[in-house]
Amino acid sequence: MSEQIEKAFQKQQGIFQNAKVGAKKSVKNNRWYKEVGLGFKTPKEAIEGHYIDKKCPFTGDVSIRGRILTGEIMSTKMKRTIIIRREYLHFISKYNRYEKRHKNLAAHMSPCFIGVQAGDSVTVGQCRPLSKTVRFNVLKVQKKVVKGAKNFAKF
Amino acid sequence: MGISRDSRHKRNATGAKRAQYRKKRKFELGRQAANTKLGAKRIHEVRTRGGNRKFRAMRLDAGNFSWGSEAISRKTRVVAVVYNASNNELVRTGTLVKNAIVQIDATPFRQWYESHYATPIGARKGKGAVKTESEEINKSRSNHVQRKIEGRKAEAKVDAALDNQFAAGRLYACISSRPGQSGRCDGYILEGQELAFYIRKLKK
Repeated sequence: MSEQIEKAFQKQQGIFQNAKVGAKKSVKNNRWYKEVGLGFKTPKEAIEGHYIDKKCPFTGDVSIRGRILTGEIMSTKMKRTIIIRREYLHFISKYNRYEKRHKNLAAHMSPCFIGVQAGDSVTVGQCRPLSKTVRFNVLKVQKKVVKGAKNFAKF
Repeated sequence: MGISRDSRHKRNATGAKRAQYRKKRKFELGRQAANTKLGAKRIHEVRTRGGNRKFRAMRLDAGNFSWGSEAISRKTRVVAVVYNASNNELVRTGTLVKNAIVQIDATPFRQWYESHYATPIGARKGKGAVKTESEEINKSRSNHVQRKIEGRKAEAKVDAALDNQFAAGRLYACISSRPGQSGRCDGYILEGQELAFYIRKLKK
């Protein structure tokens, strides 16, 4: 279909697609997905979609374990990965006051999350290293609520 | 040589250049690539970390290929490397790597099919005289075996794309083992959407 853009055939590792013609249980779109655990619901798009992503926590070969963090999306310009900004306050004991600090985090975002923009809040879970800087995977997106803008302000 | 797999030589995520503070360690070592070619079998054994072994195949000519929809595997000759998604150079030099598309000899699979279903496969169309059916199809069988074969006839239909390949005597297969690690060139026969995908790529 349209997800075969690469030079190699994209498919989910481990599921056999070529059962004989006329086999009894031929489920069209033989797709594998899993629940990541910790109460995170696997999105409908992950189950019904057609994308192939081996780094997706729901339809790929990564497990979520370790830390679960949240942050605000700073940029979505990379292919299937985003930069998250996590703000925190650091205490200076001499002055008894706080200062603002932040850290950026690169996280892999599965194609099952569509319509995600900079400014949305996101929950990420730790997984094994997926690339040089990516060790987290997006599990849930909470869209940014713009007060008093029930109608689209863009158009 | 000095191929190392460390990340200390790379820049930070921020772009800062990391200072070197220690020498290369043995546990970070990398070795030369095998670049397994087609040819008479030549495999070098490598002693690896922990005393374990890897089998670096330098040349291979045969492998165990499986026909997924029929759930059988046969050892077959690898004839040629036909497509590689990563690098066309590997196709030109005939290098066997994982996920390379190769052509394999169809005869063991044809023999199995004819003995399992007792029907010919890959019959050439358009040839004047119909070739006499092979001895395998026509041999005398016991009553019990004959009934089993009759029971299988319903499922004996093979996809048209595969049938054409059987007629030519060469099947397209994908390598799924890593010859430079295991010393073997095993894989599976392409079928269905995957086969259609690669045939389209080869036609271009």
